Amino acid sequence: MRELKLFYGPQHLGMVGNFSITLKVEGDRIVKADANPGYLHRGFEKLMEQRTWMQNFPLVCRINVVEPDHMELIYSMAVEKLAGIEVPERGKYTRSIFCEMARVASHLFGAWAYANMLGFDTVANWAMYHRDLLLDMFEELTGARVYHVYLRPGGVRRDFPNGFTDKLVKTLHKIGGKVPDYNATFFENSLFKKRAEGIGVVTREEALRMGAVGHTLKATGMKYDIRKIEPYDAYDQVEFNIPTRKNGDAYSRLLAIRDDMIESVHMIFKLIDKMPKKGAVYTKTPNPFKWNIPKGEAYVRCESARGELGLYLVSNGKNKPYRAHFDTPSYNHGLTVLEKALEGESISDVGNIMMSLYVVAPEIDR
Amino acid sequence: MNELKKKFESIFNNITVNVVEDNRIVVNIKKDEVLTFLSYLKNLGYEHLSLVSCVDWINKSEFELIYILSSYMAKDEEYQEKEKTKIIVKTRIPRKEARFITVINVFENAEPYERELHEMFGIYFEGHPRLTPLLLERDYEIPPFRKDFDMQNYVDNTYGKIPSIKERKKEQNERT
Repeated sequence: MRELKLFYGPQHLGMVGNFSITLKVEGDRIVKADANPGYLHRGFEKLMEQRTWMQNFPLVCRINVVEPDHMELIYSMAVEKLAGIEVPERGKYTRSIFCEMARVASHLFGAWAYANMLGFDTVANWAMYHRDLLLDMFEELTGARVYHVYLRPGGVRRDFPNGFTDKLVKTLHKIGGKVPDYNATFFENSLFKKRAEGIGVVTREEALRMGAVGHTLKATGMKYDIRKIEPYDAYDQVEFNIPTRKNGDAYSRLLAIRDDMIESVHMIFKLIDKMPKKGAVYTKTPNPFKWNIPKGEAYVRCESARGELGLYLVSNGKNKPYRAHFDTPSYNHGLTVLEKALEGESISDVGNIMMSLYVVAPEIDR
Repeated sequence: MNELKKKFESIFNNITVNVVEDNRIVVNIKKDEVLTFLSYLKNLGYEHLSLVSCVDWINKSEFELIYILSSYMAKDEEYQEKEKTKIIVKTRIPRKEARFITVINVFENAEPYERELHEMFGIYFEGHPRLTPLLLERDYEIPPFRKDFDMQNYVDNTYGKIPSIKERKKEQNERT
């Protein structure tokens, strides 16, 4: 059959986000895929070199639109490591609760995108509604809905308002109560199973070779999670499971994401119970305009909703970073793994596979 | 950690190994030995390449290439000390006509990282199968992530100069 070149995205209806793939197709089958990012490149890493350490927060959180909080977390962790700042006990718990909220919100957004693309509009609307409930909580806590700029080196910006945790528990119960409905209409729906089972298989061996992290690896059975490997903040204080699946296809990846979300909800309850009732939530830092951080370099990593997230940060003793380089999970998934996973699949499954790999385009471009 | 340090120093010459407190090992190595050292580390079990990065030390007119390695889990359910270790391999290359060897043969996922470094810093990686542009759309005289790239000048030339507040007020007064 004749080979054709097909430009898929960023305006294509089946594409998620500002991302494009050049496909070589033979009939409906993909022979070769060539990922083509760059539609959202804003050069944040270069811009960060021109601003003071504290001024960088509004930039950093815009790297990942769906879950900005882990970007703030990784940047604060790196600055803390360079400047030698400790986080107080209550601050650690506050941070962990906040980041788990962000994880749940991000997974709900992912469920929206996935369901919406496959035509499960009811489920998509539920997921968006439930994410909105969490955004209300974020708004009450930080004053903003999407980009919060709540974390800072040394802790968080302010303590929980009165009655916040009770409201949060109520909201999470409301979301958790809907999980059986999600299962019936989406996750265990035979229509959805037919679309996702056996599609876009990434085996263990391929995943290791191509540097996969997060759910791509968890769907092959490995409990690779930085929260367990190198516990930061309050994650060593609570018990939690890392949900895994065995098959490595799109369906097992999505189920691993769902279980991760449920696990996060349970973890928030445990964190709220264990949290110290009183105490400071941040350590004081110097005047941000005169804050010179000692020479050195830091490499820190945390577990974002998409997998291992790293930051390499260099300081040359001035009040601005010398070099910052983010190692985002979507970078590997969207460029190396996606190209491999698409080979031999049909055109109608491109968005399906990309969503199951949990790729977010702004994270690739930065 | 210190065992690893001894091991590295006994096998490789011209190498400085520093053990930093938070499970980091920083290795400075000559540029000819990087490929053999990386494949040696991969055989030791450090098979996860997290990041390939570059820092432009313009005062010394050198680029510093950085490879950050860690290890996947040996057993699916058990967490061991080894996974905490992060090995940072550093090497320096001259800034003028910067060239280096690709490490794709050792780590397959280095491909997009090297493509990005080629685009942003202008480092040519020998043996790389596609050094085509990854993120940018324009051609630049100086690759944009180098320290001597003048951002203000670039913005003025590309998008037109934005007048300062003083100049704008002056213009307004002249009009009225």
